[in-house]
Amino acid sequence: MKILLAEDEPQLQHVLKKAMQSVGYQVDAVNNGKSAVKAAKENIYDVMIFDVMMPEMTGIEAMKEIRKTGDSTHVIILTAMSEIDDKVTGLDAGADDYMTKPFSLKELLARLRSKERREDDYNHKLVEYGSVKLDTDQQELVSHNSIRLPSKETELMKLFMLNADKQLSTHEIRQKIWGDEENDEIVWIYISYLRGKLAAINADIQIVGKKDGEFCLTKK
Amino acid sequence: MNIYEKYGDVLPEILNEVTDYLKQINETYKEKHHDKLYEHLIARVKTPESMEEKCQRKGYAVTTKSALKECKDAIGIRVVCGFIDDIYTFVDLIKQASWSEIVNEKDYIKNAKPNGYRSYHLILKVKVPFEDIDGNNPGQYFVEIQLRTIAMDSWASLEHRMKYKHDIKNPEQITKELKRTADELASCDISMQTIRNLIEENR
Repeated sequence: MKILLAEDEPQLQHVLKKAMQSVGYQVDAVNNGKSAVKAAKENIYDVMIFDVMMPEMTGIEAMKEIRKTGDSTHVIILTAMSEIDDKVTGLDAGADDYMTKPFSLKELLARLRSKERREDDYNHKLVEYGSVKLDTDQQELVSHNSIRLPSKETELMKLFMLNADKQLSTHEIRQKIWGDEENDEIVWIYISYLRGKLAAINADIQIVGKKDGEFCLTKK
Repeated sequence: MNIYEKYGDVLPEILNEVTDYLKQINETYKEKHHDKLYEHLIARVKTPESMEEKCQRKGYAVTTKSALKECKDAIGIRVVCGFIDDIYTFVDLIKQASWSEIVNEKDYIKNAKPNGYRSYHLILKVKVPFEDIDGNNPGQYFVEIQLRTIAMDSWASLEHRMKYKHDIKNPEQITKELKRTADELASCDISMQTIRNLIEENR
């Protein structure tokens, strides 16, 4: 993972940087909010760790600037104050996590590992059920033949494959995949697409259910 | 004299006759369902030069007999349909027709080729009022029919054109990308078919 660290206290910055580098992370360290905004503009990071109280621009202000550009990188705020309000302000301003100073290095590294797991293990880039494999990165559905799915069909197929043999309601499916962008009608249309595509690759699994009702992915 | 010898003259006539049969199937279907079964069809007799080349490539003797009996695509018709289901409907109607017998059938739609190629191939044996190479009159000739959707057809013709470009630097990458495109087009074909079915359901 590539990490951006913004910490104005030289000794703490040095310790954090060394600790994270020692476990294999690539770390860019800066000592104020302005430099952090600049670094975020020029590079791609997996995680950003910002101290709140810094000269020129606070960590919260820097994060707000960065979020404004559409950057959704995972941000951990380091706050000296254990006040509830500071945590709330930080999280509401766009942070994903916070740590209260003084904190243990062990805990910071554990949080980074947890974040990494969420990216890799829980992201299920390859999903399998019956004879069917879905590569969510390539949006490819493979059995006897292979076919490429558009993004929403990939998401829906993944939802079914990760929840095989469970009854999923039309409403629940619509909420998970489309949110409020579409109404429940869309679900039947997309299930129809997927049924056609499962048949085209000669899959041994099927989506069972009737329009507007509950749907379930099962083995034939 | 070319590889077809005296039989070369009757091949275009047989081609026209079978084309008319296929057009008739479409007309009958149109009257009944108010919808056409195919968008267009292309009919051709394989040129003597490509037939000779094919016989050599396949390891057959370069003879009239090979051209008419070993190779079964001297007469070829490609039917390009709008929807996948139309292909299967058309195949069924050809099977029911009295003027031909199906000698071989390959479904490369349900069993796509590794490069992504999709199409439905039929080899027909037709009885015609001309002498064939075995001296029978009426004689028997082979006709190859390829049925595919517009999307399958556009992919196949582009892939064909690129196949003969030998100066491509990264052929594996290009093959992979062509395969991906074939799988995307196949996905579109099924979506179009699904949309048509949904419209029918809601009628």
